[in-house]
This record gives sequence, structure tokens and C-alpha cells, in this order.
Amino acid sequence: MEKKSLWAFGTREVVYAAIGAALYAVLSIATNFLQIPAAANVSIRPAVAIPMFFGLAFGPWVGLITGLVGNVISDLISGYGFWPWWDLGNGLIGFIPGLIYLQMTDFRSLGDIIKAEIMVVVGVAVGMFVASVSEIWVSGIDFATSMATNFVPAFISNIVNGLILVPILMIAYSAVRGRSGR
Amino acid sequence: MIVSFNYRNRHSLLERLDPRARWIFSLLVLFAITMFWDVRFLLFFLALTLGQYYLARLTWRETRRAWYFVFFIMTTMVVVNTIITSSGTIGAAMKGTHTVIFHQFTIPITGWIWELNLTVERLWFAVTQVTRILSISALFLVIPFTMDPRQYGATFRGMGLPDRLAYTLDLAFRFVPTLGRDFQLTLDAQRARGYEVEKVEGGLFTQIRKMAPLVVPVTMNAILSGEDYANAMDLRCFGLRKRTWIEKLTYHWRDYLWIGFGALLLIASVVLSLLGYGEFWVPSILLQ
Repeated sequence: MEKKSLWAFGTREVVYAAIGAALYAVLSIATNFLQIPAAANVSIRPAVAIPMFFGLAFGPWVGLITGLVGNVISDLISGYGFWPWWDLGNGLIGFIPGLIYLQMTDFRSLGDIIKAEIMVVVGVAVGMFVASVSEIWVSGIDFATSMATNFVPAFISNIVNGLILVPILMIAYSAVRGRSGR
Repeated sequence: MIVSFNYRNRHSLLERLDPRARWIFSLLVLFAITMFWDVRFLLFFLALTLGQYYLARLTWRETRRAWYFVFFIMTTMVVVNTIITSSGTIGAAMKGTHTVIFHQFTIPITGWIWELNLTVERLWFAVTQVTRILSISALFLVIPFTMDPRQYGATFRGMGLPDRLAYTLDLAFRFVPTLGRDFQLTLDAQRARGYEVEKVEGGLFTQIRKMAPLVVPVTMNAILSGEDYANAMDLRCFGLRKRTWIEKLTYHWRDYLWIGFGALLLIASVVLSLLGYGEFWVPSILLQ
């Protein structure tokens, strides 16, 4: 097995970035159909766990492309249009957990899961902050409104989805990884 | 097994244009549309994008599902975000004071107070939003139906992205139908085992955890098949040299014309919005 490097973008990264992006797009679209509005503004969009997990498992670039391109594709197909800042925000959600890619050795251990969860929270905070601040000039609202209507709901919903689903995916992946020989 | 987008060449005017020119045009028009919250300008763009849709010679049968989907999303978005919670509106529409319905009630058990304050501004905002979403949808809805999937890679490369990134985007577009099929299969398989996704029960946490039987198999299968793709590409020496693409793209005069038209629209929109046009607008008859 070759040595891992944080910023490499080889064949594996090309394939996994593409798979991640397509998966993020498909799951976001599919779960829109199953949309169940829960308490307050928190909608269930479990797909956000995908960029976080792909960042953790395959590195920061894969996480970035998964979030960014996946969001672009799902918005294109569902007809939302193209919102560059939210795409970037979603990219950061995958990029930031990817920064501890090299430290992730055992996806089943409690220590790695905790590290991953911390990075998920940081990633969502940074990503959604960038996207919400952009709304100040895109939609013409002030800082407080943008925080209340964009940042807080997006932050809470992504955090809840990520914190629950990322560990589940990590444990499943540790089983699969043994089988695939990587 | 890989499923691909259904594509058949209709020899429409739109398909004779270079895909690069069409992407550039679509992005220019998109940026132009996003500058406006005035329904009068948005109606112009709606006419324009529906015109493009007409040029693509698509039939209702082919695009039916995509349109249903757009209508579904649009209704949810407008009803939930604009009419019920107002979280999806812009500043000007939220400050509206011409109330149509005002209703306040307390949600049982939790004791949260929920206010429904529906104003004329918000209703008109919903109308504007529908126009805007429809024009953006019509603009991009034609792309998956009228662009040859084999050309995506060459298109993005031709627009200046590096080889590997262009190939990633190409692959991402190609994987979408395959993964969509996988998702549907998983959903059916889990339903056959008695899994009820639509059933609303339990708290937020339970509901998200209930997604695991869908998300985990699809993701893990995709990761496992990814190893095969990566090996196949390595065997074919992917990424050793500068890549050549089977599809060759060349610009013709009509492509320049198309890009020029898009650029003109964007410039006109920028000028108009700098002059102060295109802000959120409500017909004054409604405000009396």
C-alpha cells in the first residue's frame, strides 16, 4: 500500500470525488421526495453526511468536490439554479473534515469517531457561515437576519444529520474496507 | 452495471451549438436572472428560457418527470419557506405590513408560539419566486436532455479546467443515473423487508437514524465499485500524460453569437440593477 498524502489527487481521488458528488446529488434529490418537515426549520437532509464522510475517508479534495459538485448537480437537476456561495459552503463541509484524513486510521475506534465529529461541527460552522454571509448581498438582508434565517437553521440541520450519520457510515466503512483490501 | 442518461440527437438548433457555448450562455443568463426580484423582468427571462426550451424540441413525455419534480420542489419551497415560515424570503418582503391573514397559536406540549402573519408582500414574493424558479429551471432543464453525455469531459476541459478535474466532472455526471437506479433498488428492497420510510414517528434523531438502511448500502456499494473503476483506469494509464478526448469541439460563428447574446443580457442586467431597477416590486394596486 502506497503512502497516503493529504493533498494528492490521483486516479482514486478522481473516481471517489466523482462517486461522492453523484451520490450526494442523488441522495439529496431522493430524500427530498421523502421530505418530512420536522420541528422548526430543521429539515431532514441526510445526504449532508456524504461530503463529510468522503472527506474523512478520501481526503480534503475529494470532500470539497463531493460537496461542491454534488450540490451543483442536485440543484441543476431539481431546478434550483446555481448558487455559487452555497455550493462553496457545501464544499467546505466536506473539505474541513478531510483535513484530518491522515489521522483517521481505525474507523471503528471511539477516538477517531470523536475526532471526526469535532471536524464535522467545525466544517459545518465554517461552510454555512460562508454561505450565509453571502446572502447578505445576494438577498439584501442584514447580518442578524442572515444569521437567524440562514445560518442557524442550516447549521442545526446539517450538524444533527452529520453527527448521527457520519459515525454510522464510518463503522460500515471499516467493515467494507477490510473486504476490499485497502 | 452502468446506466446512462437517455440521449438521442434531435438535430435541433440548440444541439448544433457547441456545448461550451451553451454552458457559458446558461451561466451568463443565470447570473442575469439572479439580479432581479422584480416580476416584470423575471417574466422576460421566463419567456426567454421557455423559448430556449422550445428550440430544444423536447416533448412533454420526455420531460414530464423532471417538470413534476420542479413543481413539487417549488411548491414545498414556496409553501413552507415563504407562506408558513417566511425563512426563505428576502428582507424587503419580510418587512411588509399589509396583512392578509394573522393567526397565532401555541404548539401543544412544547409551548412554542407559532405565528402566521401572511402579508401581501409575502404572497407577491411567492409569485415572484415561482417565476424566478421556473425560469431558472427551464434554463437548465434542457441540459441533461440535449447534451451528449460523451461530450461532458471535453466540454469542461475546453472551458479551461485541468484534465483530472474535467474527468471528475464527466464521471460525476455519468454516475448520477447509475446511483439513482441503485437508490431505487435499495429502497424497494428495504420496503420489501418491511422498512417504512414514510412513517412519521419518533423524534428527529430516530427519523434521521431511520435513513441509515437506505444511505449505508448505497454508499458502501458505490465505494466498493469505485475500487473497480480506479483499477480499470490505472490499467489504462490514466493521468500519465496530457489527455486527449475522442470528441473534438470547435467553435463556429453561431456559437460566438450565442455567447455574445448571453453576455449582452448579463451586461444589460448589471447596468439596470446598478441604476436601481429590478428590486423587489409589488404592484401598487395590491397595496391599498
